[in-house]
Amino acid sequence: MKLYRHPLSVLCLCLAISLFTLSPQAFAESGTLVYSWSSNVGPLNPHAYSPNQMFAQAMVYEPLVRYGMGGKILPCLAESWETTPDRREYTFHLRKGVQFSDGTPFDAEAVKKNHDTLIANAKSHNWLELARQIQETVVLDEHTVKVVLKESYYPFLQDLALIRPFRYLSPSAFPESGNTKEGIKAAIGTGPWVLTQTRLGQDDTFERNDRYWGPRPDLAKIIVKVLPDPNTRAMAFETGEIDLIYGDGQISLDTFNRFRNNPAYTTRMSQPLASRCIVLNSGRGPTRELAVRKAIQHAVNKEALIRGVFLNTEIKADTLYASNTPYCDLNLPPYEYSLSKAKKLLDLAGWKTTDKASVRTRDGKELTMDLCFIGNNAVMKSISEVFQADLQKIGIRVVLKGEETDSYYKRQHQGEFDLIFNDSWGPPYDPHSFMSSWRAPSHADYQAQSGLPMKKQIDEAIGEVLVSRDEFKRQALYREILGTLHAQAVYLPISYTTGLMVHRADVSEMAYGATKYEIPFETIVQKQRSY
Amino acid sequence: MIKFIARRLLLLIPLLFVISVLIFVILRLGENDPAMSYLRLSQIPATDEALALAREELGLNRPLVVQYSDWAWKVLHLDFGRSYVTGAPVSDRLLFYLPNTLYLGTVSLGIVLVLSFPLGILSALKKDRWPDHLTRAIAFAGVSTPSFWLGFLLVYVFAVKLKWLPPMGMGGPRHVIMPAFTLAFMSLCINMRLIRSSMLEQMNTRSVLYARSRGVKEKWITGYHVLKNSMIPVVTAMGMHIGEMLGGAVVVEIIFAWPGVGRYAVSAIYNRDFPVMQCFILMMTLLFVLCNLAVDILYAWLDPRIRYGTGAEQ
Repeated sequence: MKLYRHPLSVLCLCLAISLFTLSPQAFAESGTLVYSWSSNVGPLNPHAYSPNQMFAQAMVYEPLVRYGMGGKILPCLAESWETTPDRREYTFHLRKGVQFSDGTPFDAEAVKKNHDTLIANAKSHNWLELARQIQETVVLDEHTVKVVLKESYYPFLQDLALIRPFRYLSPSAFPESGNTKEGIKAAIGTGPWVLTQTRLGQDDTFERNDRYWGPRPDLAKIIVKVLPDPNTRAMAFETGEIDLIYGDGQISLDTFNRFRNNPAYTTRMSQPLASRCIVLNSGRGPTRELAVRKAIQHAVNKEALIRGVFLNTEIKADTLYASNTPYCDLNLPPYEYSLSKAKKLLDLAGWKTTDKASVRTRDGKELTMDLCFIGNNAVMKSISEVFQADLQKIGIRVVLKGEETDSYYKRQHQGEFDLIFNDSWGPPYDPHSFMSSWRAPSHADYQAQSGLPMKKQIDEAIGEVLVSRDEFKRQALYREILGTLHAQAVYLPISYTTGLMVHRADVSEMAYGATKYEIPFETIVQKQRSY
Repeated sequence: MIKFIARRLLLLIPLLFVISVLIFVILRLGENDPAMSYLRLSQIPATDEALALAREELGLNRPLVVQYSDWAWKVLHLDFGRSYVTGAPVSDRLLFYLPNTLYLGTVSLGIVLVLSFPLGILSALKKDRWPDHLTRAIAFAGVSTPSFWLGFLLVYVFAVKLKWLPPMGMGGPRHVIMPAFTLAFMSLCINMRLIRSSMLEQMNTRSVLYARSRGVKEKWITGYHVLKNSMIPVVTAMGMHIGEMLGGAVVVEIIFAWPGVGRYAVSAIYNRDFPVMQCFILMMTLLFVLCNLAVDILYAWLDPRIRYGTGAEQ
């Protein structure tokens, strides 16, 4: 009988423990906002890449010029700038009275020191045209600095506005060697936030930079918790462990939709941030044929995709770039959803259906193609399935190939695909940086365009647009390049991705950033908590 | 006994060597390309030039044999290399996260021991009555419930709805309850069933019958003879449960954002961070083998037939 009682007593003990734990949730103190990210933010070296997280680098470090909405270049650490007529020299007038968070003054010498270490490690930043273009940085006086380029490069200011690598570390935080590739002493920038604590696998804490030159942020502290799983993040938000969900892929679309229907939460979607596309390989398989590519464009019901897969969280795309992208408001005629048009195109091209088979054939060959995607990417998988069903209606068999991430990127790299997903990079890289990458064979874009008879001319036009000094000519070149690719139906734009934001009513104001890579915490105004 | 332990420990050396070669080769057999992953994480376009530079920096452009021998030599000096992603020494990071996983594992093991014994014994003693039916139903549910599902269910009920417990993270004792229970639940149920069946088996042995005929008290028979003899398969299973818990911690640590080695290893798998994966697998192998060794020693202590190296016939 005693044995019988024993387990019950253990159960009672457990119950008692759970009752003891019944205490109200410890909410963060006022002035503190808790956000989450999938990993720690890293050592925050402004001139290095992984494991430094871009959003956190943008919190601590600032550029000379900032990328604004619609691609407008705004002053930041440089109050003004001028350039020579040949656009090879830029003179920046630095903002006076700016200090790094450790009190070191921000001046022309600090700019030069940062540029010099970047140029010394140009190999590491070779992906960025700017790193190759800077010839030298000259200090003119304490608050004036001149950057000399090897040749004219129109997106110079856009590249300077990127989150990395052209941002400024305090000279006092440089290593003894002066080479930031070896690491930094501490993350000291001029930005509105200072990284004050990192707990591995748990969280990173940022505090307001009291020496910040700009408007003083309303928040005093930001804690970034490490939450790798989107479902855990959603639950953490519901229980008040985190205050804000912001960005692309932070939570599933289903969860966002659920939060959208909850009046206690404020949900918002950003302006279009990047384009979600499928590229059609003009150099391989049946997609070599223009008629097939055009038929595919007409056959995909994008509206149904937006409704069914994206739950109206993305915007239907008819052109490669959204019209809010600089130089891309071109009014290109969209390929309307029309199965009859798609069928007619295939019929005219000689791809016929028979009563027996649902797949079209020509000369005994079936109209079959592969669509490659990342196997564990739920969104890509859903789109692929809808795409497969849509194309089946016009007699095209689509074989879905869901693979591991590396294998997928290898296909992009080597052009081993008929159809593959390929998103644009979004602002500030769109359109120029993304377009510039089309000239490299290691990109899916290059491979997809490789079968076009005018590929050489496209590449030459891209080269020209990057160095063009004439605004009208540049616009004309963009029209020529994008118009050609649109007519050649190499890209199947599906949607424009958006950043998703969810917060409670205690965050009364928050703006969306101009790019998906930065989070404007400094614009957050927090109401008094009312739990 | 000392000879037995020494022999088992010596066997560890060739075992770890074979494992090290296997993991080194298997990781590199597939399409995995750490240089590509590094560039993807860095948001750098993977041009041929960038890939070549990344491979050079990560030391991946050397022949495989050179890479292995270099790594193995360093491992012999307890240097497991640097992470491809963070550049931090792997052993430092793993040793930083390991205590958190061991803490979680220990609490889970505690839950398994504290709950499975009384419930298993109760089930055996009340065979075919309601306490037995109840524990068997729990056991059935337990072995059929995936830990990720149970974890989210617990969070939903106890954190989101009731707000009794924190949903994630590591902090005070309240933080460990849900992850530890999630981790323990399956082992707890298996153990419970094992204790029940093992006890029922022992209750029908002739030694128990003779003890009863000698007039030994029923309480003493159950509490000593039956229970002690029932422990042998249970102890064996416990050795495996410890391994399962360390492995199962991978899922639980992600759900509950627990900063342990499991979560670190999963991010390494996603990022093709070979040095971290190699160190993790080696460490887990070592822990698993040591746990089994401890079980074997306990086994020998519990069963004199094993201790004296004689067969069951005697």
